[in-house]
Amino acid sequence: MAEALVVRNLSKRFGGLRAVQDLSFSVNENETVALIGPNGAGKTTSFHLITGFHRPDEGSVTAFGREIVGLRPHDICAYGLARTFQVARPFGGMTVLANVMTGAFLRDKKPEVARAKAHEAIEFVGLSAKEHSPARDLTTIDQRRLEMARALATEPRLLLLDEVMAGLNPAEIDQAIALVEKLSKRGLTIIIVEHVMRAIMAVARHIVVLDHGQKIAEGSPKEVVENQDVVRAYLGSGYVHVATPGEA
Amino acid sequence: MWGLRLSGVLWLSLLAVVLLVLPLVVTSRFAIDIFIRILLFAFIGVAWNLMGGYAKQLSLGHAAYFGLGAYTSTILQIKFGISPWIGMIAGGVVAMLASLPIGALCFRLRGPYFAIATIATAQVLMLLFLKFRDFAWGAEGTTIPNLGSSPLMMQFEAKAPYYYIVLGMLVLGLAITYRIERSWMGFYLVAIGEDEDAAEAVGVNAPQVKRNIYMISAFLTALAGTFYVQYIYFIDPNTAFNFSISVEAALVSIVGGIGTLWGPVIGTVLLETTSALLQSWLGSGLGGVQLTVYSLILITVILWRPTGLLGVFTDAYNWIVRAPPAGKAALDG
Repeated sequence: MAEALVVRNLSKRFGGLRAVQDLSFSVNENETVALIGPNGAGKTTSFHLITGFHRPDEGSVTAFGREIVGLRPHDICAYGLARTFQVARPFGGMTVLANVMTGAFLRDKKPEVARAKAHEAIEFVGLSAKEHSPARDLTTIDQRRLEMARALATEPRLLLLDEVMAGLNPAEIDQAIALVEKLSKRGLTIIIVEHVMRAIMAVARHIVVLDHGQKIAEGSPKEVVENQDVVRAYLGSGYVHVATPGEA
Repeated sequence: MWGLRLSGVLWLSLLAVVLLVLPLVVTSRFAIDIFIRILLFAFIGVAWNLMGGYAKQLSLGHAAYFGLGAYTSTILQIKFGISPWIGMIAGGVVAMLASLPIGALCFRLRGPYFAIATIATAQVLMLLFLKFRDFAWGAEGTTIPNLGSSPLMMQFEAKAPYYYIVLGMLVLGLAITYRIERSWMGFYLVAIGEDEDAAEAVGVNAPQVKRNIYMISAFLTALAGTFYVQYIYFIDPNTAFNFSISVEAALVSIVGGIGTLWGPVIGTVLLETTSALLQSWLGSGLGGVQLTVYSLILITVILWRPTGLLGVFTDAYNWIVRAPPAGKAALDG
């Protein structure tokens, strides 16, 4: 299977803090990979590094065979890597439709084409009923849906989802899981940063675990859950050997 | 939908007729002078609003482009005998080019820091024109030779032609805004104004979009500069690069409704009319009373309607003309 994304020896410091250290992993096309780890492990920073919002101090990121370190965020988006933000950042004053059209204009500057594409993306995430509401009036899950629709409208090949389940109730998490699975079925490669273990177990076939900016484990959900280092990072060394992490 | 569009066309035609007939009916030079000022500042507001309103890049240095437009056409006219009609376009091009380095510097900053940096650019230009006396008459400035009635040199004895010129400029500015608002560029500008990082994340080349809209905005502002010095027959650095031009450009848009097509126009009509009326009622009394009252009105308006007065008018229009049920009005608002 072809590799969609290869991250090699990525490092980023903020002053004395090593946010990401020597991180390497790869993602195959049409695969869903989860990036997990305790708070401050460097997950969001890794996203920023991959999508061009931060420039790595060292290392390389290759997407679909091309080096993308040094490209600006909008270039990376145009190249086919779309992302959502940890705290949803809709264009609050615009309607849902206008938000998504803004994404759709990347591939076609004609308003009627962008509008048609936006309709489709909004329907895909299940937000059609609120198409004409101002984005700032949406609930948390609808804002997440909007961000996904907006990212989807840019026609990405690789989608990076940063904690799309945070702040959702259990029923909403089920809806969000279903949506991520639907995206994956559409043929998208997905990297998802997430804390909700139930969601990760459901959607990811491969998991990369970060702690203090470093990769401490990697493998299938089952392998990762049984890994002693992972248990130690999440629960402390006292739980090693006994714990089977469920909800983190 | 059709009804709404039809009534829009109807209102617009009515407005056009009134504006076209106005100088024929009103003979007072004083009144026409006020109309010209209103149209001119509405136009500057429209130019400012493209960048300051839609993309929320709050420039307080648009006097830089006003002044460059004014000086370019005046220098071309007096030193080379070139018609201000050509000078006007040349001034626009000079302003566009000047906006590139100014933008490259200022756009590194965001929010209030951007505003402060733009103030500085206009002030620096004013100082440059104060010092370079061989090339641009220094602090004394110069009067523009009066050729009597000479339409080719943008000089007229009556006031009405000036009125029509600036009315044409305003229509141009509004047409450009209308086109941009409905195109991808309008969406990109608003997206940048809302959240620049999020805009970048969906593929908006924010630096490029800001640079382009700044060029358009600078070009239009420069046209106003040329017109103004042709109208008053005088130029000096303090007139051309006056800080109050920058403030007025922002103010009329903010009061009328930032990032809307008609906001700057509504804002100018209200502010200029209020200012002129207060001047004539209170100007002869205690010195400065009219300015105090003006400021109080301004503060009230901004506290009462921080998003601009345009909303009040659309609400009122909906209430009177269409009178929808209260629930629906709340949804639309």
